[in-house]
Amino acid sequence: MSADSTAQSTPPPVVQVRDMDFCYGTSNALFDINLKVEYHRVTALIGPSGCGKSTLLRCINRMNDRVPSARVTKGEVLVKGKNIHDADVDLTQLRKQVGMVFQKSNPFPKSIYENVAYGLRIHGEKNKSVLDEAVERSLTHAALWEELKDRLHANALALSGGQQQRVCIARAIATVPDVLLMDEPCSALDPISTLKIEELMHQLAKEFTVVIVTHNMQQAVRVSDYTAFLHLGKLVEFAPTEELFTNPREKLTESYLRGTFS
Amino acid sequence: MTPPATTPANPFAGKQNRRALHEFLTRWLLRLGTFSLVIITLGILLHIAAKGVPVVFQPKWPYVNSKFLTALPATLHVIEDSKGHKIEVDANEADQVKAALNHNIRSETTISYSGGGILGPIVGTALLVVVSVGVALFLGVACAIYLSEYAKHGKFLEMVRLAILNLAGVPSVVFGLFGLGAFVLTAPTFVDVPADRSVFSIPFGFTTLSFEGWDTCVLSGGFTLAFVILPVIITASEQCLQAVPQGFRETSMALGATRWQTIRYSVLPFATPGILTSSILGIARAAGETAPIMFTAALAFKDKLPWQKDLPPLPEDASFFAHWEQSVARFFGIFTESVQALPYHIYTLAAKIPQNEYAERAQYGSVFVFLVLVASLAASSVMLRKRLRAKYRW
Repeated sequence: MSADSTAQSTPPPVVQVRDMDFCYGTSNALFDINLKVEYHRVTALIGPSGCGKSTLLRCINRMNDRVPSARVTKGEVLVKGKNIHDADVDLTQLRKQVGMVFQKSNPFPKSIYENVAYGLRIHGEKNKSVLDEAVERSLTHAALWEELKDRLHANALALSGGQQQRVCIARAIATVPDVLLMDEPCSALDPISTLKIEELMHQLAKEFTVVIVTHNMQQAVRVSDYTAFLHLGKLVEFAPTEELFTNPREKLTESYLRGTFS
Repeated sequence: MTPPATTPANPFAGKQNRRALHEFLTRWLLRLGTFSLVIITLGILLHIAAKGVPVVFQPKWPYVNSKFLTALPATLHVIEDSKGHKIEVDANEADQVKAALNHNIRSETTISYSGGGILGPIVGTALLVVVSVGVALFLGVACAIYLSEYAKHGKFLEMVRLAILNLAGVPSVVFGLFGLGAFVLTAPTFVDVPADRSVFSIPFGFTTLSFEGWDTCVLSGGFTLAFVILPVIITASEQCLQAVPQGFRETSMALGATRWQTIRYSVLPFATPGILTSSILGIARAAGETAPIMFTAALAFKDKLPWQKDLPPLPEDASFFAHWEQSVARFFGIFTESVQALPYHIYTLAAKIPQNEYAERAQYGSVFVFLVLVASLAASSVMLRKRLRAKYRW
């Protein structure tokens, strides 16, 4: 009983980045990053353009592997306690459990159903009822089921921009990942669609752990529990969101938040 | 406000007349260039249609000269009787007609290849196109996928691209000779006893893999033509793959798909319409080339279709299996027999026999049918592409 309660009071972080350096070829993009992402929390990464926040996000599901010459040169990234650069890590399993939503909503030009079922299909799921159930569950989580349940077989490209992005979220959560990475998911959307996705994020955090990159500081305040501020490849400050925005410890954070530089 | 007493000197004066003339001349020069192109194209098509339609079509039922489309080429005999009537018959009926005329014959001329029909060349060209486009699409798409999705940028890739560009510039007769050397004379094949010319052979006991070539046949010609159209197909396919948004690949990988799954489900389906378009160009080119098939597949004259191979007659009581074996052998004649082909047939008619009105008729008929055949092959690819595009558009 007591062991349980201590485990709940300090659950192990789902993502832990330790002393990580990251390079593109010979130029260092990230320096000595330390970051802990707690289960069922929304963690926001903020910072000026080019500070490395997207790169850091893509380190968590090893999407940077697609870039030749990009690699982690020091430190390690642990997801669910496992170093994801270990040789026995199956990349497809890692990415199944660490989902990602991109800046530009990019549904496949297929039906809504096929979009959401894509992840399960490539992982070998053929059972129609399992797929049906997963599609319904994912679309419900993405607050789309009521809107779209009658037109699941319509082309996803016929939807509005906001709906498309939520289909992408549904697609990413269909494989029931532990962590959902979101790379500026609202930057191409209108304010109302943005609001919907922000509302969604609070819901998603109940089921998943969300890490979001955003250039919009208000958005970080609205959606996140923790915020990390990056500048020129260094993690300047990492704290609970309220604390970071009301009482930043670092001068650099304060001047960024005041808009003295951007 | 009073208007100025005198109109001011035009502040925008210039050499506008000269400019206008210059502009006028330029526009008309470019326009003439464009028009002349259209006129020449139309001229060629109309000329061929005008001379070819009377050969292929006829004024009375069934309106199509079915013999021209369904008979094999034959030598035409033109027999002039004592009254000056000219009777045109194919070689196999010539004796009959002569006997009926009972030596009341003023003259008899024979014109090679101009009688009968052109079924042999049509079938041959169709087979060559199918084999070559099939081989070229397989090799070309495989190569394009590797170059676009797998290969790392660098020296090797540059060299491969240079090689593809060079391949596109090789004269077609060189391809013909390459095909002769590679496919007709040295390609590997399974035989019981290797021929003397076999480059080397590997015995397996029950059979022998002998590098003695495939002989002149549809397969040799089709493979040779495949290499002629390969550069077009690789280049176009690679462009089509590159045109598929990178986001599709990223998303698919981020969902845990392997690279091949990503290509199979999120890249290839969307590139297929474009790849088919490139195969249209391939079809037209493969159907039209003469030099590559001259040494590898085509004959000037053949009185049999590829599946009518001569085989020893079977005894009365031959087993079902023996009949079956012969049918299979005949069927595979579509790959292993040499054929006539339309472009080579046209070349023969135009350059290898004395020219007269009868030869000309056969020429125009063949050319017209050839054009219609290529156009309809291309049209069917366009239709297929249209349907696929409607299904997979982004």
